[in-house]
This record gives sequence, C-alpha cells and structure tokens, in this order.
Amino acid sequence: MTFPKDTARDCTRAWEAMPWVLQESASEEQRDWLTDHLAQCESCRAEFAQQSRLRLALSLPSDIPIDANVGLKRLLGRLDMPEIVEAPVRRRSGGWLTRALVAAVLVQAVGVSVLGMKLWSAGDQSSYRTLSQETAPAAPGSIHVVPDGGMKLADWDALLHSLHLQVVGGPNEVGAYTVVPADPVTPARNALQQLRATQGIRLAEPVAATP
Amino acid sequence: MNDADTDADATDRMLLQRMAAGDRVALGVMYRSYHGRLTRFLSRVTRRADVIEEAINDCFWIAWQKAGTFHGDSRVSTWIMGIAYRCGLKALRQHGDEPVDDDALPEDRTPAHDPDEDRELRDWLGKGLDRLSVDQRIVIELVYGVGHSLDEVAVIMQCPVGTVKARLFHARVKLRNVLPALAGDSSTLKEGMR
Repeated sequence: MTFPKDTARDCTRAWEAMPWVLQESASEEQRDWLTDHLAQCESCRAEFAQQSRLRLALSLPSDIPIDANVGLKRLLGRLDMPEIVEAPVRRRSGGWLTRALVAAVLVQAVGVSVLGMKLWSAGDQSSYRTLSQETAPAAPGSIHVVPDGGMKLADWDALLHSLHLQVVGGPNEVGAYTVVPADPVTPARNALQQLRATQGIRLAEPVAATP
Repeated sequence: MNDADTDADATDRMLLQRMAAGDRVALGVMYRSYHGRLTRFLSRVTRRADVIEEAINDCFWIAWQKAGTFHGDSRVSTWIMGIAYRCGLKALRQHGDEPVDDDALPEDRTPAHDPDEDRELRDWLGKGLDRLSVDQRIVIELVYGVGHSLDEVAVIMQCPVGTVKARLFHARVKLRNVLPALAGDSSTLKEGMR
C-alpha cells in the first residue's frame, strides 16, 4: 500500500478530526477531507472504526437501574420541606461561628485571669523601683563587706563558707558586697565580729534596718 | 450547534424560566428529560445507584434554586451538566471512588431489551474505561457520549480548554492501546467501520 508523503501530518489531522466528525459537529469540508483520507489510510480507517464503536458504546443507555419517577418524587418531597433541609445547614454554620467566638472570648478571659493572678501574687516584688518608692528592706542580718583588693577568691570563698554567709548583692561602686547568713541559726553578730577580725577584710558593717 | 440542539436549548430555556417562577411541572419535564443522560454521565463517576440518584437530585435541587440566575452564557445542557459534574465529584468525595461492584448490583440490571451485542459492547467499553482516570472518563463521556465541544467541556469541568484537550488526547491514546485487545479479535472492529 502506498501512502502520500505527508502521511504522518495527515494522520494527525485525521486523529484530531475524528471525534467531531463522529458527533457531527465538524464542518462539511472537514468531514469530506477525513472521508478521503480514510479511503487511503488503513491505520486511520481502523482507528476510526474503533472510535465509531466507542461512540456507539457510549451512546447506549446506562445499565444502572434508576427510576426517574421515584427520584423526582423524592426531589419534590425535598422541595416541600425546604426549611427542614436548609435550617440545619444555616444553624450549623451560624452555630459554628458563634461557638468559635465564644471559645475565643473564653480563652481571652482565662488568659486575662491567669495574668491577673500572676501579677497579684507578684505583689510589689517588681523587678524595678521608682524614685518615689522606698528602698527595699534589707534582709535581717545583712552585712556590707569590703574585701581587700589583694584577697584571693579562694580565701574569700573559704571565709564566707566558714562563717555560713552568702553573697546576695554587690559589689557596688565602692567594692562592697552584701552578705547574709546562709544559715538563719548562726548569729549575725558573731559573723560580723569574725569578719572584722579577718585579715583581708577592710570593712564589715551591718546593714541598717529600715525604720 | 445543529438545529436540533438549538431547538432543544430553546425548550430548556423556556423550562428554566418557568422553574424560576416556581413551576414544578416544568421541573418535572426537565428532570425526566435529563435523567437518562445524567445517569449515564454520573455512572462514569460511580457505579452506585443510590449515589447517582442523590447526585441527580442534588443537581436539580441546585438548578431549581438557581434557575433565575441563569444568564444564558452557555447552553442550558452545559449549565446543568456542570452542576451535575460538581455534584458527582461531591458524591465521590463523600462515598469514595467505589469501583464496579457486580455483587452489589442486581443480576438483572441490564435492561431486558438489551441484546447480546449491546451487552458485549458494554463489557468492552467498561473494561476500557476502567483503565482511565475519572476526569478522562468524564471527558470521553461528554465528547463521545453527550456530544459536547471542547469549549463546553471546559465550562462544565471549569478548567482551561488545553486541559480538556490533554485529557481527551491521553484518554484516546490509552483506549486505542487497550480496546483492540479487549475486543477479542479483529473482526469485532470491522463491524464498527463505516
């Protein structure tokens, strides 16, 4: 069998035209051209035959038995109770929005309450102090200690350890540390005297209690 | 669009106008007129009769509610098929893409008047369509079964024409590769030749 030179291009054109020729929406010119092409192209003829059979098969009525009258009756019944059908949808969507808003408000309320409790329990233990506020009262037994500049850190640590003292502040601008008894049982007065007696301690003064 | 299509569309528009005015008789006429093609169209999406009926009724429920909003941008059939397509996809999401379950279908589901040749044709088609995706089956049904143009299928499926072309092309290639083998012998093909 002989084919024209541009068989491939013509076969592509025939392939594209087949569905529209089969559904009779192709132009007369397109239909005539395809007829001519099929007369001389065996493969396109076979393809067109298969396409025709496909269209025939697809045009068969459905094999799934569904009674139109029963379906229509159900639909009309549905139309008769539109409120029942529509209402739950509306209520559900409105309820969803309302529930979301209520949940948001509740979460905010809980958050505000927790924050309020936290602030309340913190009381005046603020991490800052205004100039109008009185100085925070010193802990009982607090001592200001100025160690000598030549004192070794190990000696300083050993001294504090032996006197059961711990540093709670300092050094300030003059090099003074604030120490308090680590063990409340130890008399502060003894610690003060021992500090003063220790070599390497330039100054040891009790912190004046707030009047 | 040929003369028959134009006449059918004019009738559909008239029915739609009456539906917009609350005419249930018009709804009944439209429902019966489209029931067969919608059943076949939706059977390409699912094989469950209850799901198909639900999708058809959802489709006409929407058509009834929206009849007044139809502006005539397309054929009425294109508009209704578009609604049915979306209802079919919704049904598919809700009920899952359940394949043909022959056990769940009644034995005598094939119409009594169906001759052996038609039954054979259905089997051949069914096996071929099983090889396609849902979107490919729908495009094949809309083009070969219902007779819609590429533009109309694009409106129905709410996608670009190029996408429809691609789906049609791939579906045809796949069917070309499997259908001859499914036919059993070459003589079957020759029966369909003009």
